[in-house]
Amino acid sequence: MKFKKAAAMAMACVMVLSLTACGGGKGESGNAKSDGKSEQGSGDAELSVSIWDTNQEPGISEILADFTEETGIKTKVSVVKWDEYWTMLEAGAQGGSLPDVFWMHSNESQRYMSNDMLLDLTDMIKDSDKIDPENYPSDIWGLYTYEDKYYAVPKDVDTIALWYNKKMFDEAGVAYPTADWTWDDVTEAAKKLTKEDGSQYGMALRNDNNQAGYYNMVYDNGGTIISDDKKTSGWDDPKTIEAMQQVEEWIKLGLMPSIETMSENSEDVLFQSGKVAMVFQGSWMVAAYRDNEYTAENCDIAELPKSAATGRRASIYNGLGWAAAANGKHTEEAKQLIEYLGSKEAQIKQAELGVTMSAYKGTSEAWTKSADFNLQAYLNMMDDMVIRPYSKTTVTWENEDNEILKSVYTGDKTMEEACKEMAAQMNEKLAGE
Amino acid sequence: MTNTKKRKVTGRARSEFLWGWLFILPTMIGLVILNIIPIFQTLYQSFFKTGDFGRGNVFVGLDNYAQVFGDKEVWQSLINTFKYAIVEVPFSIIIALILAVLLNRKMRGRGFYRTIIFLPMVAAPAAIAMVWRWLYNSDFGLINNVFPIQVKWVSDPQIAVFSVAVIGIWSIIGYNMVLFIAGLQEIPHDFYEAAEIDGATGVKSFFYITIPLLSPTIFFVLVTRIISALQVFDLMYMVMDKSNPALEKTQSLVYLFYKYAFINKNMGYGSTIVILLLVITLIITAFQMIGQKKWVFYN
Repeated sequence: MKFKKAAAMAMACVMVLSLTACGGGKGESGNAKSDGKSEQGSGDAELSVSIWDTNQEPGISEILADFTEETGIKTKVSVVKWDEYWTMLEAGAQGGSLPDVFWMHSNESQRYMSNDMLLDLTDMIKDSDKIDPENYPSDIWGLYTYEDKYYAVPKDVDTIALWYNKKMFDEAGVAYPTADWTWDDVTEAAKKLTKEDGSQYGMALRNDNNQAGYYNMVYDNGGTIISDDKKTSGWDDPKTIEAMQQVEEWIKLGLMPSIETMSENSEDVLFQSGKVAMVFQGSWMVAAYRDNEYTAENCDIAELPKSAATGRRASIYNGLGWAAAANGKHTEEAKQLIEYLGSKEAQIKQAELGVTMSAYKGTSEAWTKSADFNLQAYLNMMDDMVIRPYSKTTVTWENEDNEILKSVYTGDKTMEEACKEMAAQMNEKLAGE
Repeated sequence: MTNTKKRKVTGRARSEFLWGWLFILPTMIGLVILNIIPIFQTLYQSFFKTGDFGRGNVFVGLDNYAQVFGDKEVWQSLINTFKYAIVEVPFSIIIALILAVLLNRKMRGRGFYRTIIFLPMVAAPAAIAMVWRWLYNSDFGLINNVFPIQVKWVSDPQIAVFSVAVIGIWSIIGYNMVLFIAGLQEIPHDFYEAAEIDGATGVKSFFYITIPLLSPTIFFVLVTRIISALQVFDLMYMVMDKSNPALEKTQSLVYLFYKYAFINKNMGYGSTIVILLLVITLIITAFQMIGQKKWVFYN
């Protein structure tokens, strides 16, 4: 009997332990996935390509098909959503099983480059007759250069613009936004476009929409998010706080749906379902709105408004890069693919297909014809561009910022308190980099 | 035990011994590699501040533990996890038990009903969560549109964790029911016949015969359910958006672990959170093992 009891106890212990280990094993499953991929690749040199944007997948696949036709090297593209993408990449990097070719972002590039995770492309670029760094914006090269070595080839460049619903503007009798608008004009228009019964709101701006949203307003107003040397936060700059108080005003006036509604339905869903009249979106969203029947028919684009005080109209911009795994099995083929993706031919095709604006200079003309919107607005935004604020631990402090901003939306904190809190936490994290 | 050792080992016994071990070997190896070793690795990691990509870890001793104990977010998550478990475990067991008793009788379409109730177990948790996310949606969701109510099911901090628990109950009932049906079929029919002669009605025989004789199964389900309820992750991860104002009052410990270990890339702190969960789970299970003497009947 005693033995039975002991055995039962032991069984229970094993059960507890093993289940706990299961709960902790999420990372392993990610590993297993990427393992599977590289196995597939080893057969006949099939390159695994990872991206995060479903809207861009059809266009990218078409370009990859061209590459296969030209070189005979097969590719297999997989789309993993933004949040999971970085988890997958992290697990892959740690376990030595990164995809062969993948998108890199300014948020993470520093960390990956400084840890030798990315394939050094410097020689390939020097020897290539297709790629000349002169042909791409130098800031974007900057994102993917570490100790004078190139680790990615620029894929695209993005800017931000204001989307509006023409039908709602007509109904409310408000004139369409123009390039002369200031942020105050947005407020005035939004007041007229908001219906009291909650069936329609003037605009939507989520607490985590920084690049396409409030970062622009901060820089318009002369504020900053991070100092140039990436050592201190600019959230407590009075100019920054002043700009952010504009957002607070919109919340207080009820011009936006509640944070609850916006968290359950993202801005693009609300815009596409005719619930809000204005949203601020990056050029990467164009393909999605073009393919949506409602937005294609009723919506259009204008330049972002200016700050009335400074007259500045800044666009936070960024550009992705095509990078390869340093320890990949097919690094030669990967280099070939990246060279192809960066070539003028592929970049023009990307613009023509309306995937995004291409990084290659002079390809914008093709992109403006890719959809029936005023895409020129996005190009006009290139006159005054600020690279997206980043440091080595961007993700960590950005997530915390979003968390803190939530409490302004719920009315638990004033914007000023939130900004000071964000500055404090960010400074602490920057100090530990 | 001592008796068997004294006895002479025959050839047959030795062969049975070998084959026995051979058959459980794959499971044992899997258990050791996938479960036991990671437990110790996790414990080891919890003493480090994680460097990039798992390299250059810095030993910090008990710093992570000190931080966990002072972290309000961790304690809030623990409360959330308990709230979830307190709703999910009893309801999923009681409803499954009632269904099992009902579906254990001879009736038409028994197999059909059993299949329907078991079906949620077959679907992937991620898919389930996506469907429920739309059912719960406060603006476009089915529930709010069919009934004339305006409830923010998953974004109201007061109720979001319970809304998630409902999904948990719904998706686990079928599994519990199957275990209960298996247990019910072990109960000899004679007991019920004897009880009927003594005048015990359906409800009485349920409480005086079914429950006591089923208690080992109930105990097993209870222990395993509590353990996995404390580890709830996928439902919350899929249902709750990061910008959700109810997230803070809903996220579970494992969710927090995921956030620290994989999003903020602080594997060490994440490990510490998991170790905390492990200790709590061990304590709860130990109490259950002690408590079972009072209500579980093995013969």
